[in-house]
Amino acid sequence: MNDKNDFADDDLVAALRDLRPRPVPALVIAALAQELDAPAASRGNIIAWFAGVTTAAAMVVVAFHLASPSPATPDFQLVRAEQGPTNLELLQPVRLDDGSFARPLRLHWENTTHWEDRRTQAHFINYRPVEQVALIPLETY
Amino acid sequence: MSDAHVHQDWRAWFAENGARLRLIARQWTRSEADADDVIQEAFVRFWKHQRHLPGDPNALVVTSIRRAALDLLRKTDRRALREQSVYADSEMTTWFEPEEDPRKQALLDSLPTLPAEQREVVVLKIWGELTFEQIGAQLAISPNTAASRWRYAMEALRKQLTAKTYE
Repeated sequence: MNDKNDFADDDLVAALRDLRPRPVPALVIAALAQELDAPAASRGNIIAWFAGVTTAAAMVVVAFHLASPSPATPDFQLVRAEQGPTNLELLQPVRLDDGSFARPLRLHWENTTHWEDRRTQAHFINYRPVEQVALIPLETY
Repeated sequence: MSDAHVHQDWRAWFAENGARLRLIARQWTRSEADADDVIQEAFVRFWKHQRHLPGDPNALVVTSIRRAALDLLRKTDRRALREQSVYADSEMTTWFEPEEDPRKQALLDSLPTLPAEQREVVVLKIWGELTFEQIGAQLAISPNTAASRWRYAMEALRKQLTAKTYE
C-alpha cells in the first residue's frame, strides 16, 4: 500500500494476505480430536470387546431358549422375516494364480427376523448383515 | 504447505492451516455451521486417507473440502447445486478478524462486494495458495478464465479502495 492509498497489484495481494481468517471454533477441533486421536489399537479393542459382548449375548439368548420353560420364560413367536435388497458392487478385475482373469463381485444384504412374546409384549429383533464375494471369470483374447 | 505434514501431528498442522481452510469451505457453504461440518469431514478424509498421496497436498485438501461441500449441498438441497458459487453472503466481514488499520479494514469491507465467482478465485489464490491451473481444475474452468476473474477482482478492489479513500 502506498501513501496515496492507490493499491498496486503487489500491495493489494500483500494486504489481502495480511487479513486474518477467523480461527476454527473449539467445538470443531474437539470433534476432529474425537475422530483423529482414537488410536487404531483402541478401535481394535473396541471391536474385539464388542464382538465378545455380542457372542456372549447370543449365548445368553440361546441358553434362554434351551432352558426348560417356566411361567416367567418368554414365549417368542416369529412375526416377520425380511431380506433387504441386495447391493451389488463390481470390483476391479484381478489376475488369478492360473493366469486367468476374474472380476470380483461383492454382494451385501441384510436379514432381519422379528420375534414377539404376545404375553409380555416383548420384542426381539435379530438383524444380520451378510456379505459375500464371488468371482466372475473373464475371458481374454 | 510442505511435505512435513506427512510426519506432523494433525493438531499442529491444523493450527497452522485450519483458519484458511475454513475460509475456503465458507465459499461453498451457506452458513458457518455448514462450513464447520464440511471442514471437519474434509479434513478427516484428507488426514486419514490422502495426506500420503503424491501431488500437492494443498490441492488435495482443497479438493476434499469442495467435494464435502458439494455433498452437503446435494444432501440439503439439490437445487442449490447450480447456485453453489453465487450465495449472497452478508456474513463476509465475520470471516476475518477485524483490522485496526483502516486501509485493511476497507479492503475487508470490499471483499463481499465482489461477484461470487471472482471472490472464489481470490480466496483460492490467496488463502488456498493455488495456482491458476489448480484453481481452474477445482472450479472446472480454464486457467485463463481463472486468471481473468482474478484480474477483474483486483481491478474492482483497487477501484473500491480508491473510492473509499476519497469518500
